[in-house]
Amino acid sequence: MRKYLFPLLSITLLISLILGACAPAATPTPTPVPTKAPTATPVPTKGPPDLAGETITLYHFGDLSGPYAAITAPLIHGAEDAVAAINEAGGLYGATLAIKFADTAGSIDEAVAAYDRFTGEGEHPIVMITYGSGEAEALAQRFVEDKIVNLSAGLSAQAFYVDSGYTFGLGPIYADQIAFIMEFLKENWDTYKPAGAGDDIKLAYLSWPTAFGQGALTDESQAYLADLGIEIVAQEVYDLSPTADTTAAILNAQAAGANVIWTNTLAFGTSVILNDLNALGLRDQFVVAADNWAMDLATYAFLANPAYGVGLIAPYSYLWWTDMDNPGVQYAQQLFEANERTAGEHNVGYLLLIAGVDLAMDAMKLAIDTVGYENLTGEAVHDALIALSPHQALHGALRVDYSGGSRSPREAQIRMIQGGPDAFVVIQDWTEIPDLRPGG
Amino acid sequence: MAILRPAGEFDTHYARDMATIRRPWQWWLLFAFILALYTLPFYGSQSLVSLVNRIGITIIAVQGLNLLTGYTGQISLGQAAFMTTGGYISALLVNNLGWSFFAALPVAALGAGIVGLIFGLPSLRVKGFYLVMATLAAQFIIPWFTRNAFPDVLNRAQGLNVQVPVLFGFEFNSPQRYIYLTLTVLIFSTIAAHNVSRSRLGRAFVAIRDNDLAAEVLGVNLFKHKLQAFFLAAVYAGAAGALAAHNIRHLNSETFNLTDSVFYMGMLVVGGLGLDLGPIFGAIIVELLIEGATLFGPFFISLFPSTAAGAVQALRPLFFGITLMLFLIFEPRGLAHRWYLVKAAWRLRPFSH
Repeated sequence: MRKYLFPLLSITLLISLILGACAPAATPTPTPVPTKAPTATPVPTKGPPDLAGETITLYHFGDLSGPYAAITAPLIHGAEDAVAAINEAGGLYGATLAIKFADTAGSIDEAVAAYDRFTGEGEHPIVMITYGSGEAEALAQRFVEDKIVNLSAGLSAQAFYVDSGYTFGLGPIYADQIAFIMEFLKENWDTYKPAGAGDDIKLAYLSWPTAFGQGALTDESQAYLADLGIEIVAQEVYDLSPTADTTAAILNAQAAGANVIWTNTLAFGTSVILNDLNALGLRDQFVVAADNWAMDLATYAFLANPAYGVGLIAPYSYLWWTDMDNPGVQYAQQLFEANERTAGEHNVGYLLLIAGVDLAMDAMKLAIDTVGYENLTGEAVHDALIALSPHQALHGALRVDYSGGSRSPREAQIRMIQGGPDAFVVIQDWTEIPDLRPGG
Repeated sequence: MAILRPAGEFDTHYARDMATIRRPWQWWLLFAFILALYTLPFYGSQSLVSLVNRIGITIIAVQGLNLLTGYTGQISLGQAAFMTTGGYISALLVNNLGWSFFAALPVAALGAGIVGLIFGLPSLRVKGFYLVMATLAAQFIIPWFTRNAFPDVLNRAQGLNVQVPVLFGFEFNSPQRYIYLTLTVLIFSTIAAHNVSRSRLGRAFVAIRDNDLAAEVLGVNLFKHKLQAFFLAAVYAGAAGALAAHNIRHLNSETFNLTDSVFYMGMLVVGGLGLDLGPIFGAIIVELLIEGATLFGPFFISLFPSTAAGAVQALRPLFFGITLMLFLIFEPRGLAHRWYLVKAAWRLRPFSH
């Protein structure tokens, strides 16, 4: 064995180097693409192109069997119902939209595998939709290299701005969200401050120990809060579980003198804090604010008492199901009923992805108008997303603005739960949000 | 398992007695198999190459666990944490200090090995379930460390973007290219694991596993050998973690988690504890099951759109759990053991009984 070992290893190394050099070409790593205004202008045509017989595939992947499955399932169904409805209505200039999904189980490794699977399937993908912060961060460089637009519901600043360029958010980055809410509270502290609280906002950041959970706490957001005179007096983490115990975290926040709690979680993560605050009899000592995913129909599924949700504040860069005067929300409601979705899916994920697919459609239409179907690439859609900004997708149900180098929405509402389920009342209408992109 | 050889075949010198591959056709078969793997990017789809890549990295991690749990009998649920350690060390050396990945890889493996030593210290005092708890601590402490220590360097929970390996200007930036790195490290790790298992060190490991008191009476230094087993297991994990981090190109405290550690242990049970082929069989079977669940999920949803979403959530753990349960009941010594039985039956034919 020993006689053959070194020759074998040497040959193996030699072969690997030779084969490596001969391997199928991969796109060289480009530098991150600075967002720029597209230079091409729409080509005047005699009418819309007829793309009957063509197929354009959207790809999406997310956690359907891991910790974030509860929010992912409605997102997936929203995307799939929206695509089916578009096809029923004649498709994109006659082209059929297809949509393919892969489960990542919340694992970044699996997300990379899903990406490899999709990009290795013959036709080069143009648009992908991702749902998790971790996977959006991990794949950001690949999206740039392969020139694939990623519409992401994982709103991590790192995913959009670090070694990135093709990842666009369906909501504001979490750093912007915390700054937006804290700025609002600072301006309206007398109205919203808990009884007995002082004039200064003392913030406790209680969240999950994950990329998503810690996503709002960036250098930029901390500096911004410091400029506002808001002190972060406690940082605590708790388990990513609907049955997590947040008692110690809350008591530590209280001991540190906090009067505002921010949590960057899904609905069940916020619900456990609200439940424990009420169980401890401390609810009236804190304003509780959270990211956009926290205020959802699912919040009520995890609250021990629906009344515990009252007072929760969150930013919304999209409308809610109760805004039935909006034609986009009406359309989403029709799809929801036509597809006989369960009551539990009447939530933010379903609505947002119908708007997200509409946004992708608008961008692809503009790209086709600009460069023609034969030149429809991820790069063309990337440029189209910037060119159509600011944009109101699905009749204003979702507002985005990717101009000026931004890759996430630039305005949002602030809502507060003021009653039973679905009573998410606007307490501040559409307002520009702080721009806390990394290095910006 | 006793080595069964055809009648009339005699070893005339020690080298032949020690040989793992004994006949020319076995060399040719091995060479053809390795060649088939190395040329996979030329005839396999990208998703297949990507899958083989992942399986290769997983095998390396499970080989380390096999040395610790399979041979030495020290149960550990910290393997994924040591992968995190290796991944971070390699990422920092390459990203921040400008090292080549090829220099960073062995340093990352050694660094993880040293961390493994620390978590192996309780092994002298505690056994079984209590040792599991001690190694489980690694799965909490190391991710906590990466989230909270040196935020300017480790970038908190957001983690690090990791550069792709480059060799003489050649970037390993696609599955078709990365597989050469994975396969090369895998060949080294397989040869090393095989040789450890049949060396004096490996015999000591097995003695500790079978009866640590008897081993000590016979002169085996328990403390030293248990720590060596922890060190080797963590070295393997560190190498696998570094490979995985540069393949994924991103690393944070969630990349390798407790679930991964549990899956690695399950792979070892399915493949065969204490057998060289165990990690290979186990990793392949379980990874294919995971892949199957992933591919089957959307198909299941398309068949039963209104009711399948909940069921699909359970597919992956269900596949893994049922497989593990079936193996524990029907073949607790794993697939590798079954493979050796088949080989023995073939060699003894027509007198297989």
